[in-house]
Amino acid sequence: MKKIVVDGLKYKYPLSEALALQDISFEIEEGEFIGIIGKNSVGKSTLCQALVGLVPHFYKGAYGGKVLVDGLEVRNHSIADISRKVGMVFQNPFTQVTGSKMTVYEEIAFGLENSGLPREEMRQRIDEVLRLMRIEHVKDHSPFDLSGGQMQRMAIASIMAMKPDILVLDEPTSQLDPAGSEEVFQAIQDFSQQGITVIMAEHKMEKIAQYCNRVLLLHEGRLVDFDTAEKIFSREDLKDYGVTAPVYTRVCRALGVKKQGCDGYPVTLEDAELALRRSFA
Amino acid sequence: MNKQSMWSWHFSTAALVLIPVAVGINYIGKLIAGMLKLPLWLDSIGTVLAAMLGGPIVGALAGAINNIIYGFTDPISFVYAITSVVIGLVVGILFYKGYISSWGKAVVAGLIIGLVATVISTPLNIGFWGGQTGNIWGDALFAVVLANTESTWLASLLDELVVDVPDKLLVVLISYGIFKGLPQNVVQLYNNNDKVETLD
Amino acid sequence: MHNIDPISKLYYILFAIIIPIILPSFIVSVICVALSVLLLLAAKVIRKTLPVYSFVFLVLITVIVIQGLFRPGNETILFHLGPFAMHKEGLLFALTIVLRVTNIVSAFMLLVLTTKPSDLVESLVRRGMSPRIGYVIVSVFQIIPEMMSTMSTIMDAQRSRGMETEGKLLVRMKAFIPLLAPVVLGSLINTKERAMALEVRGFNSRNPKTYLNEEKTYSYSKWIQVAMLLVTIFAVAWRVFL
Repeated sequence: MKKIVVDGLKYKYPLSEALALQDISFEIEEGEFIGIIGKNSVGKSTLCQALVGLVPHFYKGAYGGKVLVDGLEVRNHSIADISRKVGMVFQNPFTQVTGSKMTVYEEIAFGLENSGLPREEMRQRIDEVLRLMRIEHVKDHSPFDLSGGQMQRMAIASIMAMKPDILVLDEPTSQLDPAGSEEVFQAIQDFSQQGITVIMAEHKMEKIAQYCNRVLLLHEGRLVDFDTAEKIFSREDLKDYGVTAPVYTRVCRALGVKKQGCDGYPVTLEDAELALRRSFA
Repeated sequence: MNKQSMWSWHFSTAALVLIPVAVGINYIGKLIAGMLKLPLWLDSIGTVLAAMLGGPIVGALAGAINNIIYGFTDPISFVYAITSVVIGLVVGILFYKGYISSWGKAVVAGLIIGLVATVISTPLNIGFWGGQTGNIWGDALFAVVLANTESTWLASLLDELVVDVPDKLLVVLISYGIFKGLPQNVVQLYNNNDKVETLD
Repeated sequence: MHNIDPISKLYYILFAIIIPIILPSFIVSVICVALSVLLLLAAKVIRKTLPVYSFVFLVLITVIVIQGLFRPGNETILFHLGPFAMHKEGLLFALTIVLRVTNIVSAFMLLVLTTKPSDLVESLVRRGMSPRIGYVIVSVFQIIPEMMSTMSTIMDAQRSRGMETEGKLLVRMKAFIPLLAPVVLGSLINTKERAMALEVRGFNSRNPKTYLNEEKTYSYSKWIQVAMLLVTIFAVAWRVFL
């Protein structure tokens, strides 16, 4: 089933001359894990925000084309309506804290209170996401007293408690240390395995290669390619888009070792090991 | 900008989130002024910026909420919430009408806002304190004028005037300077008047 | 006192201000002040009132001196202070001011020292105040400490770059903007992501809001409010008929 359909999406921020997104079209199936890659300010954040309706409703500006999420046309629905289908997590864990709640437990309840959920159901859902995000032990702490990794997992928990079918993450680990990042990626992967459709903009190509079914390469507001990680990272012109392939891919490319059964180079450690063993055995 | 948009109560979430930040800026302004031992309060920069960025209603709300919050540490500030609300309103109106668009105009606007604040605060001072402000220099002037003119109103008005006008003038100038230094995409954020244009 | 409905305390402020207006006499004002002080004692928060009272009394002493010496209409001389004369009329007027200020300040303190701001806001939102405004009030308490820590970072950085924060007035004035502007800019930029994060959590949802915590039940709320209403009606009747 098609979960997301983007058709000819164009967008221009107010006061800006250039289009931030130009004629973008793609489709995403239910349960896929999609990576969005590209240099800084090529439209990754804008595209993420277009999937939850922040583009255009939050910024205004000029908009063209169509974005359908779970059958809902983004342009014709409020962000609050869309938020029941699509959740979004941002870069900075600090600015995502509402600042109006005294404990982690209450913080997660914020979105549920706004959607008018009955109390019993709220408690049930909060307990569940606390467990999934492994932050049960800090549920009575102040939201600002958490480590960066815990805070970002709280942000994800707050969104996932609203039970969206689709989770959009905009560089969720860019402000975290390696340990914190690892915790967050683990948590995202758990949700993906439950069948949630995940779309993640990210700079860490090893992670993209490890988790994503398909990768969307953006450059200057345009969609360059949307394919498997092997195909994308094996592109000859990858450098032109300011993207560096995962280290495993670069090593295998230098050695001329391709992944078995496909035309690209391996992108993960496991695949690289497999391919190298085979060609040097 | 038309009148209707200036008075809209349907401000954006960004404009709403601006209000607590404005209260914080007021507080930090006051703190820095105290730390540098400046002879002025400089505790309304946030309210003035909120009014410039979000319009008179956001400015007025920032003013009201500012004094309500301070009321939790200093109950007297509840009494002066009205002054803060009026400062927010007047700055918002002047700014949206284009009367704070250069340094020269900002000086005039600062003086106007100082006068307006004085006119609003004086009856509050008379009703609450019998005419004084609690500021040493202003109250000394109050005593002198009261002794020589027999008019509580005149004494109280002058008491407030010498404190408020320089303070508000400087607050408006500082706020205007900061506003001019803000990136356009930040300024744009609080503006809720635009419709989404169509590119199809 | 901590277990009394915040709304009743709000009514009490109104009550304490209105009664002396309806019945303007020293005795009524003294009773009102005494009642508030007794309640503050009962709530065991009288210690926390001291900083506020000491500031208020400092100003009130100047009020007494200035009004006693210079109030227009001063006639009856009570005693001399150096070259100046203290007058009865001015002192009586100063006494009304002292009672008025103490009364209002005490009633407000009863609310603010015995109520968590978030409880007050939640009570008001349940009674129909906009949840958006409620959010704004509560969030101030968490945003200010965040801005303070940004400020102290900036302060350290500017000082280590050799900025002068002491000396002549002009030098100190010049230091103001470089200290303030970075905090302002940073916190304004943060409003964007915070606003977006609120939006995607249904902040502007049209659904009726629900609450994680059950509404606190307060004992005697009705009785307290009815009692205050009755006293007010009685005071009005007293004023009109006697």
